[in-house]
Amino acid sequence: MKTEKNHKLGFTCAYTPMAILDAAGFLPFRVLPVSNSPDQAGHLLHDNLCPHVKRVLDRAIEKDLPEDLAGMVFMNSCDAMRRLADAWMEVRPDDKVILLDLPATNERTAIDFFSGELSRLAETLAKWSGSPVTEEKIALSVDKYNELSDLANRLNGFMNEGKLEGSGSRMQELINLATSLPVEEALDLFKTEIVKAESSSPIKNGIPVFIFGNVMPDPEFFSLFESCGVHIAGNDFCTGTRMFSSMPYTKNRSIFIQLSKNILEKPPCARSFDPLKPGGLAENVYEKAKACGARGIIGHTLKFCDPYLARLPMVRDKLQDTDIPLLLLEGDCTLRSIGQQRTRIEAFVEMLR
Amino acid sequence: MMKQYFDDLVNGIEAKIEADPNSRSPRKVYALEVAKLGSRLYSGEEEIAWCGVTAPFDLLSAMGVTSCFVEFVGAMLASTGMASNFLDEAEQAGFAGDTCAYHKSVIGAARKDMMPVPNFLIATSCPCTGGLAVMENLAHHFKKDLFVLNIPQEETKQSVQYLADQIKEMVEFVTAHTGEKLSDDRLRSAIENTNRTRKIMVDVFKMAMNVPSPANGRLLSNFGIVIALLLGTEAGVEVAEAYRKGFGETLEKGIAGIPDEKIRLLWIQNRIQFKNPMVEILEKEYGASIVSDELNDITWDPIDPEDPYTGMAKRAISIPFNGKGKRRIKHLQEMAKAYRIDGAINPCHWGCRQGTGARGLISKGLGDIDVPVLNLEVDCVDSRNFAEGQLRTRLEAFMEMLESRPSPWAA
Repeated sequence: MKTEKNHKLGFTCAYTPMAILDAAGFLPFRVLPVSNSPDQAGHLLHDNLCPHVKRVLDRAIEKDLPEDLAGMVFMNSCDAMRRLADAWMEVRPDDKVILLDLPATNERTAIDFFSGELSRLAETLAKWSGSPVTEEKIALSVDKYNELSDLANRLNGFMNEGKLEGSGSRMQELINLATSLPVEEALDLFKTEIVKAESSSPIKNGIPVFIFGNVMPDPEFFSLFESCGVHIAGNDFCTGTRMFSSMPYTKNRSIFIQLSKNILEKPPCARSFDPLKPGGLAENVYEKAKACGARGIIGHTLKFCDPYLARLPMVRDKLQDTDIPLLLLEGDCTLRSIGQQRTRIEAFVEMLR
Repeated sequence: MMKQYFDDLVNGIEAKIEADPNSRSPRKVYALEVAKLGSRLYSGEEEIAWCGVTAPFDLLSAMGVTSCFVEFVGAMLASTGMASNFLDEAEQAGFAGDTCAYHKSVIGAARKDMMPVPNFLIATSCPCTGGLAVMENLAHHFKKDLFVLNIPQEETKQSVQYLADQIKEMVEFVTAHTGEKLSDDRLRSAIENTNRTRKIMVDVFKMAMNVPSPANGRLLSNFGIVIALLLGTEAGVEVAEAYRKGFGETLEKGIAGIPDEKIRLLWIQNRIQFKNPMVEILEKEYGASIVSDELNDITWDPIDPEDPYTGMAKRAISIPFNGKGKRRIKHLQEMAKAYRIDGAINPCHWGCRQGTGARGLISKGLGDIDVPVLNLEVDCVDSRNFAEGQLRTRLEAFMEMLESRPSPWAA
């Protein structure tokens, strides 16, 4: 296997430690569920399974992937993702694949265990690449991704303020690029956009709304929301800035333990939770919406996503007791599905005026 | 209402056995102990814990806690024809129609005050993320403390240690809620009972492999998963022993679980829990016997009383639903060989991403050893959309296919 950088290593989950992939000399490449590949995955998996996972598998079946994709790093984030890892090995038996266990909680024992999983990843990637993946190398990559995370969050702030040209769709384009380009190029790209945004005047045409959910990678999704009169005042998606969390660390301590703690304690997907605060997702959503001054909240989740679907009733119950209305939408990773929701979004925005 | 139901069930079975001691069949003994467990859960007099499927029930029992995985309630509601109202309740509360009905029915039952309020809850990340989510919901609903056991996917030195450490912490959590420390003697006794039950179950499953099998479509239905609730107790030993004795007598007499067994079937994942004619069709019309279920197997070693947490950790990690699909498929292939299976039925429980998500891979894996699989589209708990006619047609076609081909094990 080649060891030079830019040899791609695919991933599909926001919990993936991109910095370790980068440190191993690979280019982290998020395989997004955006494709024209025909629907075939249901045959191998089941039609009643997460559309994100099915569309990613469709890409694998149709070979709609970069030619230099060396392998995949899967996170055991949910049942569907685990089944995707199984199916991937069937569809692309020559790919190198690793599945990392990911605790749902973040107690000390979980942090220790996940630290071991990250260490296992580094060892595996070292074997794949033929060169050691040292803690020093990882720390250097973490520095770069920390800078990228800071920039991503600044850009997201500009978008929320209405200062990012192209708004939500541009932000998503940038994030998609940042998960497929070398981190150095992504840094340059983000810096250029920030310079532009800094000198822009805010444009806020719509009603401020906080949107959250799991997977919404197509920039057109955001255009559609905005065309319905939504101003995206804040957002929280697996395919959004949730992928970019700063991971502070100190030297002379295991980088794996520190990364583990950072990853398990970062803003969570619904699959992770604090057992001391059951229903915490509802509280998180409410607090984030309040913080960004949203007048409404739209939850957009994929069909068949158990981690979210099972927790949305708690979000709904919580928000019923507040002054922020909630609209829940279900999608399947296609624009077609969200297009059908246009009337509901417009009516919701009308109600908020 | 539920307490009354379980009490009536206990009294009814006991009265029948008393009136005719010869009627004490293994299934009756099993049903009696399960009914007693239900009665205790709903008694309002015991320390109760709602749990995930892979919780260490023997350890909880040693700590004086009556515990049960919540899916048991879903199955029980379905088997008694009561699930629909609770499913409606959950859906009206916002739970999506295409999520697992085991979990939805439990949520509905909790919202309608039909689930006893637990003292605390123990969630397990295996077998499914849906199960973990329902436990969080229940903890939120009951406003009770929740402890989560993250079950690693693969058995390694580190993963076993991680889970063993969590189980130790769970003991502290339980003590903090019950005020009772774990007694060494009770733990040792529970482990002894677990190992005795395990040993007998190994014998029972070995007997079921016999051709023809002493098992049939009803005798061992749900057995492997439910017996876990009785591990660590004398009742568990008694139930397992009743099966060993019953199967031993059947084999001695040279008879089979069904008359003239022609086709041997393996049931994948969970049974259809509500009343349905499948088993009857299979047995009466085709001489086909479900001789084993995927979970009717012992995948773990005896637990070392000197190091019980390690053994419990390994046990939880070992269940076939855990880990990579390849491991599950290998286990199914081994079962198919051991039981000389002609065909397998996978209900593909609607809403189960963990189980049905591996549908295609399981079909292929069993196909590789020449064992065909019938994939159904059934919700094993929700009878509201059950299409008996369609099911019958699929079943008939599958059975005719099996009848027309030689057994994979003929040579």
